[in-house]
Amino acid sequence: MAATKRLTRELEELRKSALKSFRDIVVDESNILNWHGLLVPDNPPYNKGAFRIEIAFPAEYPFKPPKVTFKTKIYHPNVDEKGQVCLPIISAENWKPATKTDQVVNSLVALINDPEPEHPLRADLAEEYTKDKKKFFKNAEEFTKKHSEKRPCD
Amino acid sequence: MGEAAGGATSNNPLSQLEVNIESAKLTAFGGLFSAKPDPYLELIVDGQPPRKTEVIRKSTNPKWDESFTVLVTPYSKLDVKVLGSNSIRTDTLLGQASIPLYPLLEENQGKFNHLKKTIELKGEKGKAGELTLTLNGLQVNLKNYPKRAQNGPKTSVPNGTTTTSTPPAQSGGEGRSQGRLPRSSSTSSQQSNVSSRTAPTGTPAAVPPASTALNGSVPQAAGPHTPGGSAVDAPAPPGPAAPGAPNPTNAPAPDPNEPLPPGWECRKDAQGRTYYVDHNTRTTTWERPQPLPPGWERRVDNRGRVYYVDHNTRTTTWQRPNTDMVTNWHNWQEWRNNRTMESMNRRFLFPQSTQPTTENDPLGPLPDGWEKRADANGRVYFVNHKNRTTQWEDPRTQGIMQEDPLPEGWEMRYTQEGVRYFVDHNTRTTTFQDPRGGPTKGPKGAYGVPIQYERSFRWKLGQFRYLCHSNALPGHVKINISRENLFEDSFAQIMRLQPFDLRRRLYIIFKGEEGLDYGGVAREWFFHLSHDVLNPMYCLFEYASNNNYSLQINPASSVNPDHLLYFRFIGRFIAMALYHGKFIDSGFTLPFYKRMLSKKLTIKDLESIDQEFYQSLQWVKENNIEECGLELYFCADFEVLGKIEQHELKPGGADIRVTEENKEEYLNLMTQWRFTRGVEEQTKAFLEGFNEVVPLQWLQYFDERELELMLCGMQEIDVDDWERNTIYRHYQRNSKQVVWFWKFVREIDNEKRTRLLQFVTGTCRLPVGGFAELMGSNGPQRFCIEKVGKETWLPRSHTCFNRLDLPPYRSYDQLVEKLNMAIEETEGFGQE
Repeated sequence: MAATKRLTRELEELRKSALKSFRDIVVDESNILNWHGLLVPDNPPYNKGAFRIEIAFPAEYPFKPPKVTFKTKIYHPNVDEKGQVCLPIISAENWKPATKTDQVVNSLVALINDPEPEHPLRADLAEEYTKDKKKFFKNAEEFTKKHSEKRPCD
Repeated sequence: MGEAAGGATSNNPLSQLEVNIESAKLTAFGGLFSAKPDPYLELIVDGQPPRKTEVIRKSTNPKWDESFTVLVTPYSKLDVKVLGSNSIRTDTLLGQASIPLYPLLEENQGKFNHLKKTIELKGEKGKAGELTLTLNGLQVNLKNYPKRAQNGPKTSVPNGTTTTSTPPAQSGGEGRSQGRLPRSSSTSSQQSNVSSRTAPTGTPAAVPPASTALNGSVPQAAGPHTPGGSAVDAPAPPGPAAPGAPNPTNAPAPDPNEPLPPGWECRKDAQGRTYYVDHNTRTTTWERPQPLPPGWERRVDNRGRVYYVDHNTRTTTWQRPNTDMVTNWHNWQEWRNNRTMESMNRRFLFPQSTQPTTENDPLGPLPDGWEKRADANGRVYFVNHKNRTTQWEDPRTQGIMQEDPLPEGWEMRYTQEGVRYFVDHNTRTTTFQDPRGGPTKGPKGAYGVPIQYERSFRWKLGQFRYLCHSNALPGHVKINISRENLFEDSFAQIMRLQPFDLRRRLYIIFKGEEGLDYGGVAREWFFHLSHDVLNPMYCLFEYASNNNYSLQINPASSVNPDHLLYFRFIGRFIAMALYHGKFIDSGFTLPFYKRMLSKKLTIKDLESIDQEFYQSLQWVKENNIEECGLELYFCADFEVLGKIEQHELKPGGADIRVTEENKEEYLNLMTQWRFTRGVEEQTKAFLEGFNEVVPLQWLQYFDERELELMLCGMQEIDVDDWERNTIYRHYQRNSKQVVWFWKFVREIDNEKRTRLLQFVTGTCRLPVGGFAELMGSNGPQRFCIEKVGKETWLPRSHTCFNRLDLPPYRSYDQLVEKLNMAIEETEGFGQE
């Protein structure tokens, strides 16, 4: 596959850099276009758990950006109920073939840690976040405890 | 029933004879078949291409009652063959007979006046039945025609005499094999008794006539889709397809914890790769199957092919539906319901000729005593009342053109009709295209642009109409269809006819409806059929992007086993629309038109159809790629129907790394591949079908934008609505360039406005709701004027954002000149 060489290298580099906030990267040997990993945010209210995400690369990568989806439910203004997330770095307008997956992951971690209620995917949560942050934090924390994955020990 | 009637020419001894094929009784078919045959009849006059009746299903006493007007001499011989239509094998001959006319004329004093004859049909083993037909309308004086031996002299070819470009070389055999397919599919659907065609309610297939179409609450279903097929080994769809979106990541990946649909199993191959087995179809796929949307059912036809029934709309399709496809279809449906014939009737290429045109004529008024007129084909000519002559050339520009000399060995000539053409004595060829090509210096027109720049669409259209007119065939061609089965009926008839017959005058009949076709019915037919052939459920075309209703060939169309035949049909249909000067409702993408004109596609052309891809290629072009680890090689992947295919852009390309030195070549190859990937065969079939009816060379006058105009027509553009719905970036509503821009728009004529709109938005068509509903590639996107660049720059456009980059010009005249150049000569502009 045309994208294999590039993705193999990116995967190697990402594993080598051993990010704390993104780990357990699993890639099916047979299908390098599909990555799974565990997102471990630092900021409350998401620091009570961890979240499985999927990064799906199109066959035309790097001419088309990858898509990121949450597999674990999350209470976040920028992630919708289906787990879809809107990341500017991989939007049609901003994508560059030189953008690397570690940049994508870092920008995702940043977005999760600090929600952007100005560009919400879930307007209800964005409103709650801006109007009643306390309530939002309480709800999000409960939700995280209930639905998220266990955080790795180290 | 498709019937082509030829007219006699006065120089040969041909006369018209009306042959009415009434009915037959077939006796000797037993033993060969267990079921009754599906008979149809072929009528052959003196070895000419056969004329065919409709197929009567399951009958030994078929009643056709179809009339053919044929051209004969008293020595002609009519051959009739009754054939049984077969889905898989070649059609079976059930019986035949030969009718020499001369003895019959002798019996009837040289006159056929509703002469009813019952003749014996002979099969392989003697008598096979009998056929009843009526002969009418032939009257000759037998004294002028001495009796001859059985084989009279060969008569001249009555058909296709005036055409030079597409010789009627199509053999009857080919026509037969094409025409058979749709019938066979209907047969199979009857036998398998599953087709939604037999659904009792008979949902209206097409958009109802304008009077009722506005009633959006009436659910309108597309004609039940029962795709025909001839291939015995038609492959089952290779698995859950992502229609219209070969990129499966568009949809959220199915939850791996969800159970598989019934009959599916998940396995691992020797390399540990996961794949999915569909025990229902005995097929495998890499893609995890998604359950069918509600109301859908999977079925198998009697040839073992899988298809899907949508009980919500009572339609069928070959393609396994998924959410994307269903949404797509709903969008299309909604959009379609908003279209009415009324909106179609407002389209035009030129305002009525009664309107004074001098106002917008950059050349000013005609000299005294001259008058500008248009002939029946809309071609403009000039009348000199002083000396009572006419000419094609405009007296105002005659002789002004200081043209460059022609290349060595070339000569300029004029046809009898005054059309300029060029003879290349080096290669002994002729062409209408000026070999000097390109923009040359010349006198300036009214907008400060050389006159040659001011391409005259009218003139080109006149040339094209002239070619159509001079290659018209006499008589008419009858196309008889039912509204309920518009697509399949039209397919069957158009493919049954000889391509050149489609250049006869059209006579469209909607079954069960009175009304003579003086053009209105044909217009309606083109409108409705253009909807249906582009119906995404047939999997033949897809939208260029999410919100762009321009269509392009769907690389996954092969899920429809007969897709190439359908593309050939659509090619013929589109050629007919151009030839007969009718509009279709929705058109194709500009790159598709360019392909029809065999023009080279550039990176810029990608912008309107695949913005992400375009931006990435552009990025590679503009940046040094050696520092950023792109890891690009001369190969590319493409996913269609869940399968990823690798393509080497050149031999051994998978091992050739892209560098700064060779990236130009890479981008070039990549661009060409992006436009052809997965659609090569389909495009070829489309172009072949087109070329059979209208030679593609006839289009060479036009650019892709003009081709779109010809096919879709123009709408009156409401400048107030346009201005009201325009947004600005780095300009204000009252910036002087913006004021000038609107002054310019108000001063130009509708054609030029349309070109400006095309330049910025990529299409000449406006949404039903006008400029307020203009769509970009990411959703609603109003017309936008942005201040970009310096006054020396030309305006640029971003078709995916409906944005015009308008540099801050210093004067109105400068703005006019630059805008004119940009919209008149778009080639090579966007690149800078």
